[in-house]
Amino acid sequence: MRIVLDRPRCEGHGLCEEAAPQLMHLDDEGELVLDHEEVPESEVAAAKAAARVCPVAALRLA
Amino acid sequence: MRIIHLMDDREATSLSGMSTPPAAPPTSDVDLFADDVLIDPYPVYAALRETGPVVHLTKNDVYALTRYDVIRDALADWESFSSTSIAFNPMANEALTGTSLASDPPDHTRLRATLTENLSPRALRGLKGRIEEKADALVAELVDRGSFEAVDALARAFPLEVVADLIGFKGHVRENMLRWGQAAMQVLGPLNRRTTENFPIAGELYQWCSEVRATDLAEGSVGRGIFDAEARGAIPEGTAGHIIHQYLGAGVDTTIAAIGNVVALFAAHPEQLRLVHEDPSLVPAAFNEVLRQWAPVHAWGRRATRDVEVGGSVVPQGAQVAILFGAGNHDPRHYENPDAFLVERNPVDHLSFGYGPHGCAGQGLARMEAHAVIGALARRVERLVVGPEVRVPSNTTRSIEELPVLEVIPA
Repeated sequence: MRIVLDRPRCEGHGLCEEAAPQLMHLDDEGELVLDHEEVPESEVAAAKAAARVCPVAALRLA
Repeated sequence: MRIIHLMDDREATSLSGMSTPPAAPPTSDVDLFADDVLIDPYPVYAALRETGPVVHLTKNDVYALTRYDVIRDALADWESFSSTSIAFNPMANEALTGTSLASDPPDHTRLRATLTENLSPRALRGLKGRIEEKADALVAELVDRGSFEAVDALARAFPLEVVADLIGFKGHVRENMLRWGQAAMQVLGPLNRRTTENFPIAGELYQWCSEVRATDLAEGSVGRGIFDAEARGAIPEGTAGHIIHQYLGAGVDTTIAAIGNVVALFAAHPEQLRLVHEDPSLVPAAFNEVLRQWAPVHAWGRRATRDVEVGGSVVPQGAQVAILFGAGNHDPRHYENPDAFLVERNPVDHLSFGYGPHGCAGQGLARMEAHAVIGALARRVERLVVGPEVRVPSNTTRSIEELPVLEVIPA
């Protein structure tokens, strides 16, 4: 499973980072960085939670 | 799913012998914009949710979405549910044409980027410290005072000051922010008395925004930055005023409602305030729960671009849709014990900011303001003793008009 970020849609609300800090973080500029695009089996639930809380629907799983 | 038109009829038609096509939704004669419903819509929401996930309200001629799942799906599905009819009267929709609020992709994508360039959490991250200091100083002063009217002294005072400083408003504009902001939301309702009375006031705001120049705004403000962006061609010519209009129109009344609700809900549930006091990391969760418990916006419009199946029945093409955020937020199919106010439930997926491409553009600023207020209250207050709250019906925003704090028991 892969996390797909719609970069232009992302506004840096950071709720995904709160849901899955092990998979993504906002850098010093407030830009989202995906630390693991390929989601390990053990982190699928966290990845789903991160995609779900994005308020502007900029994240999805493929 | 697309419903194939077999006849030139806006109702989905059932032909015998075929598998049962989705039927017309159930109806209700509830008036969403009646005074008593606007004051407390939650009993009506509960009844509508049980009637169906979508209910045709014959008095308002709108198709109301009532349950969590259908609301969230509709907010994500901009192709089926157009934002060209977010208001419940054609004049307001006409006036909003060309704003990101009332546009669909691809136009929306560009307009939204322009709007959020200076408003996204990215753009605002430098403000956090200043906003927290302001909230703390204000709450400290109110705790010292011991009794105050919380809506004027906190729920209005704080966001008005934050937004005025942010945009760089000076002089008479600062004095007009509250009535302009309220009117901009009122006129989104149906053509009732509240809407007609507020059109001239919303017009003053519109007029001022069409004439405002960079030099009318304080140096170094975000408002000035929007004009700078226009001057260097980063945003299209003539859009700076529109953006400022949206900041004022959408960002004032709603935030005031949310902060008033913070005070009222924590006054009513001191044990929940204590939880945040003991664990300040609960502040964001507490704000999510305040927004879930009492949505600042009653109903938001969409227009069905085609016959859309929603929860087994059909919203016909062209229909005016009403998204009832508060009804979805109290859907027991999604939230256990939904009427209870529990900060620890942390409902991060509440619907009060909307969701998807049109999700509230100012939610980063709203969070910053509300987190600062909740943090300061939880640090400084053990309990608030309040008198009865006063509510006044309002077409779009549901907020408390007056909330007397009679006594503060400091933490």
